[in-house]
Amino acid sequence: MKYFIRILFIALTIFLFGFLAFAEEKIPVFPSKPIEAYTIYTTLAVFWFAIIGLIVVIKMKLNEIERIQKLGIDKEDPHTHLLE
Amino acid sequence: MIWPKFKDWIDERYDIAELKKLAKSKLIPQHRYDFLYYTGGITLFLFILQFITGMLLAFYYIPHVDFAYESIIDIVTKINMGWFFRSLHHWGAQLCIVFVFIHLFGTLLIKSYRKPREFLWVTGFILLVISIFFGLSGYLMLWDERAFAAVRVATGGAGALPFVGSFIKIFLRGGVDVTGDTLTRFYAFHVSILPVLSLLLIGIHLLFVQYHGMSIPISLEKKEHKEELFFPNVFYKDIIIWLVVLGVVVTLAILLPPEIGKKANALAPPPEGIKPEWYFLFMLETLKLFPGTIMGFNGETIAIVCVSIGIFFFFLIPFLDRKSNRNEGSPIFTVIAVVYIFYFITMTLVGFFD
Repeated sequence: MKYFIRILFIALTIFLFGFLAFAEEKIPVFPSKPIEAYTIYTTLAVFWFAIIGLIVVIKMKLNEIERIQKLGIDKEDPHTHLLE
Repeated sequence: MIWPKFKDWIDERYDIAELKKLAKSKLIPQHRYDFLYYTGGITLFLFILQFITGMLLAFYYIPHVDFAYESIIDIVTKINMGWFFRSLHHWGAQLCIVFVFIHLFGTLLIKSYRKPREFLWVTGFILLVISIFFGLSGYLMLWDERAFAAVRVATGGAGALPFVGSFIKIFLRGGVDVTGDTLTRFYAFHVSILPVLSLLLIGIHLLFVQYHGMSIPISLEKKEHKEELFFPNVFYKDIIIWLVVLGVVVTLAILLPPEIGKKANALAPPPEGIKPEWYFLFMLETLKLFPGTIMGFNGETIAIVCVSIGIFFFFLIPFLDRKSNRNEGSPIFTVIAVVYIFYFITMTLVGFFD
């Protein structure tokens, strides 16, 4: 039994060594530290909130422009007297 | 206080008021297909994004066969935010080509190419070719085994063209095979020749758009339609869409950063399941349809010739569609457009899932 465990241990060691030595090493294309990944995902969420906020502001501005255009008060009157 | 003074300074030298008047007088037609107008703007935005991210990457990239691969690993692993800008450049390129295709197919379906806008089509088509070559040349910059094999296949395919094929192949590769010379050559194309050409063509394309105004589909031309001001109405809508596109590109860049394979080795066999970039898949699947030899002729050469004829016919559509040029409906060219789009999408999907 002892002999068998020893062989098994050696075989496992060789297998593990071989697996680690010849495994295809993947190049990390994204920060691997959990804190960095957490920061990136949080920043992405904030970025989307900022985009949505900007879109809301632009949309409000656009609605106001369209309202003014509908009222017809967006055009300059060429006959308006200039203030002295 | 500085701003009004600066404004006066500019006003004294340049006729800004006239430019403002021009911008405010530009009208955009409103109809059910007007969403297609925004695809051009999105493409322009993505081009700008590519220029910016490309410039940042060029600070650190070394276009030499011994250092190209290592410099990209350095960009991804050592340079602050390098992984992000590389990923942004990759996804920006993918989406840029997607939107160039959508813009082109939209133009084809609503027949915006008809008289007097033929040269808009020509410049747009050349810009598509340039975008694809941008993609191919940029792909080789990575100098990994997949990029190496893909460029070998693509340039080899061009070599199958009769008469001019071998010249094109050797010109692109800078020799008989893909080597360090090809990398140098593709780098020159990617960062100097193609950007200059694309800037020039984008300028001409935009100039033609301003000159001719926006095209209206034939079916809606005789009907009454509303128009809205480009500035500020459409301009603000453009900005909203650009913000969404920016969000999508950034999200893709973070969630799906492109992998880097093993360093290219000219003597190693190509990796299994090698596929070119998605915009070449329809061509690859078409090549597969042809047998090795057809009546004693090389099947690949015949396939390449057929694809080239198909693309050339596509390019000539504005000059062949006489009915559209007379503002009459031309159902034959609508069918042709649908066939082209259906074939492209189907073959790309077949290639993708194969």
